[in-house]
Amino acid sequence: MAADPTAAVTPPPPPSLPPALSYLRFLRAALVRSFSGSWRFYAWMTILTAIALVGLNAWGHQLNQGMQVTALSDHVSWGLYIANFTFGVGLAAGAVMMVIPAYLYDDHEMHDVVIIGELLAIAAIVVCIGFIIVDMGRPDRLWHIIPGIGRFHWPVSMLTWDVLVLNGYLLINLHIAGYLMYQRYLGKKPRKGWYLPFVFLSIGWAISIHTVTAFLYQGLGGRPFWNSALLAPRFLATAFISGPAFVIVLLHVVRWTGRLTFGDGPIRTLTSIMRVTVLLNLFMLGSELFTALYTGGSHATAIEYLFFGSHGKHALVPYMWTAVALNVTSAVLLYLPRTRTDHRLLLAACGAAFVGIYLEKGMGLIVPGFVPSTLHELVEYTPSVTEWKVTAGIWALGLLVLTVALKVGLAMWTGRVNVRTD
Amino acid sequence: MSGPNRRVALKVVGATLGAGAFAYAGRPVAQWAANLDLDEVLTRHYKELTPEDLAQILRRLEAETQETYGVDVRIEDIPPQDGVSFGYALNLSLCIGCRKCVEACHQENNHDRRTNNSYIRVLEMEQGSFDMEKGTVDYDHTVPAPGKYYMPVQCQQCDDAPCVTVCPVEATWKEKDGIVVVDYNWCIGCRYCEAACPYHARRFNWRAPEIPADEINPDQGYLSNRIRPQGVVEKCTFCLHRTRKGLLPACLEACPTGSRVFGTLLDPKSDIRWVLEHKRVYVLKEELGTRPRFFYFFDK
Amino acid sequence: MRSLSIAVAAAAATLVACGTDQPRPSRPPPGPPAFAVEINQPARLTSVETGEVDALGRPLRVACVTCHSLRAPTALPTSTAELDEFHQGLEFAHGELSCASCHVAGEQRTLRKADGTEVDMRDAMVLCRQCHGQQARDYDHGAHGGMTGHWDLSVGGRVRNHCVDCHDPHVPAFQPMQPAPGPRDRGSSRRTTMGNH
Repeated sequence: MAADPTAAVTPPPPPSLPPALSYLRFLRAALVRSFSGSWRFYAWMTILTAIALVGLNAWGHQLNQGMQVTALSDHVSWGLYIANFTFGVGLAAGAVMMVIPAYLYDDHEMHDVVIIGELLAIAAIVVCIGFIIVDMGRPDRLWHIIPGIGRFHWPVSMLTWDVLVLNGYLLINLHIAGYLMYQRYLGKKPRKGWYLPFVFLSIGWAISIHTVTAFLYQGLGGRPFWNSALLAPRFLATAFISGPAFVIVLLHVVRWTGRLTFGDGPIRTLTSIMRVTVLLNLFMLGSELFTALYTGGSHATAIEYLFFGSHGKHALVPYMWTAVALNVTSAVLLYLPRTRTDHRLLLAACGAAFVGIYLEKGMGLIVPGFVPSTLHELVEYTPSVTEWKVTAGIWALGLLVLTVALKVGLAMWTGRVNVRTD
Repeated sequence: MSGPNRRVALKVVGATLGAGAFAYAGRPVAQWAANLDLDEVLTRHYKELTPEDLAQILRRLEAETQETYGVDVRIEDIPPQDGVSFGYALNLSLCIGCRKCVEACHQENNHDRRTNNSYIRVLEMEQGSFDMEKGTVDYDHTVPAPGKYYMPVQCQQCDDAPCVTVCPVEATWKEKDGIVVVDYNWCIGCRYCEAACPYHARRFNWRAPEIPADEINPDQGYLSNRIRPQGVVEKCTFCLHRTRKGLLPACLEACPTGSRVFGTLLDPKSDIRWVLEHKRVYVLKEELGTRPRFFYFFDK
Repeated sequence: MRSLSIAVAAAAATLVACGTDQPRPSRPPPGPPAFAVEINQPARLTSVETGEVDALGRPLRVACVTCHSLRAPTALPTSTAELDEFHQGLEFAHGELSCASCHVAGEQRTLRKADGTEVDMRDAMVLCRQCHGQQARDYDHGAHGGMTGHWDLSVGGRVRNHCVDCHDPHVPAFQPMQPAPGPRDRGSSRRTTMGNH
């Protein structure tokens, strides 16, 4: 945690090294920074590693004993894992809400912190890939889905599109963040041609990852609850709530650690975005509710079950009302005049929005697609302990990636660590 | 003071504990990886296997079944016949909901005994209603019950099958005789097909099936009733290991009422063609455009 | 480490071999029918159940001829109440029919149609057809009555149920039964043995 004396000094002209060698030094610097830090850093990383290991262990048991250790069934065949996957895609896509102001609207203050959004996207995609892998019955056959080696059912299967857009998004963000960090490390000015086209590509790509993920569900005619044109817009709206909410919290944490100094501009911009998206989401939810409940009939069963329970079964009712309550709370908080100045209120609004969307999208959007089943059997689903362990483990892994990425990334972004200081 | 020394000591202790934690936590994964059979992991897609590859795999699977279940079985690859396109019809006026078809499927297809799994689910429906909302599958009283009719549902072998569309690795496809099959050695277990199927026709192997040796049906097909591995999806194949040899499917043979009519749609003199031409048949969830090969009809 | 290098080598080999579908052998279409469709001959047509079992636990049946070959023909009763000995307590619930609608006095092997034509007991289904035309038509096209064997008669034969296999001519209504056990899969309300988390 000791302040680097050279941090404030304007970097002198970079020494000339062969590119390969300087890149290796860059990687070494990143690696060293990943494993050294204050006791708080160690404590935080130890906790996350411990949780990740609990998840790894639980997943190992799932691999050996089969997915019977989950609470999934042939009726509800996707549950907590896919719900978290979906939420994670939203988080990754939501990070674009920093990129758009920074690059499309040339918001200079946002530009100072935009790398945080790109690093968050990377960590979120890692989380998504993790959830896909643990949801697979046969992860040993993962190679079947690699284009050219396995049999990639593209363009017919939406899942293959998702594989492409998610991995593409990961690569784009790795390139942008990696290139910017590397250039800063060398003390050079990044060349626009090397990253700006990718930045603009990433904006469209961010929309695509969540649209394609929505299409996974939306395109299934046998699941009336999902088979709605409103699903993709709702996915995007919720992504643009949970993403900015997480980033606002993250910005406060970064500011608290003192690794980056920036004005309140980015936080204000993100808050404005959330003000729109929380209402948009509530509006679309209301529209779906109206369509289902006013029309009635068996297409309304899933929504009835979700909000009120059906045939004496109501496992999802508490989740859904909590989600609605949190979403409404966050909307109210975001519009309170005091929230503009009181960051504690803002953080509370972000927390409420984040958890609200997590519940709404997780238990409230994935599970009711299966309840009632296609033969209208009402089989309930409550995640098993194993599923919670694995889920916690993957999020811990994501936070590990995010912590390391931010620690290394910000050190290089600010020029604290560069080829001269190493 | 001994600050640096203490720090080093702490780091050593921490690293040791950390390594121990990693080793302990990772053991089940390592155990799983060690148990993987390389031959199996690298088995190619059914369609890419040469006859020699396939023969070798069939022998390997037979040996594995002997090892795991203690039974000598014969696993065959039975390709579809030319000039045959299967169709199935079910007379809802005759069906009494006795679940004999369910039971026969369970035995014929080597299903897990503990779950009493079967590719067929029989819905007890309310007279005068097509609403499955009012149906039940776990009825347990004398049948037929007054005021009820019974609707067995199994794979509809759709010509435009959503399950085939969504599979990311082409582990399931439609054969030229109309049967939708799964390559159990290629399926990655993502269960997207289960989500996509509007008829609850697919089942996932939440664990390896458990069947007593003396109850295992030894006449097995690579793409049908061989004992499925853990973690893959399975489904009704119209008993292709029987029907591609000219036999009737097991569910039909078990039906005491003759509600079930099976045959090739390409033979104008077949029973199934007669039913389609003389009965007012319908298909389930026609509005979804899945084009099932499984038809329902009433006598009266 | 060695297993890893084997894995890498095998994966490389797989990679090289990938992607080409192999031609599949074609199997000839069904030929003309070469086998017959047989109709089961239920024991009920030629014997009566005694309600007792033999030493092996099989239901004990007595062939009609056991008595009828020895006894002189008698007139047919007008109602089941008049029946005695083996036929005592016989239930009858088959529309408005009476014994003489189908039976011929003293001839346990012969039945008669409505127009008086005599029919051998083995062809009992001819009698059913007189009234149950729709069912008979469905039966002829495999849409009524259970069967086993082959759909493809060029490969093997088929055995059809006789009307009397399921419909006792005296009480023809299909008898209710207890169904086979229902689903016990994960999530089912009858789930009993699953789950260990």
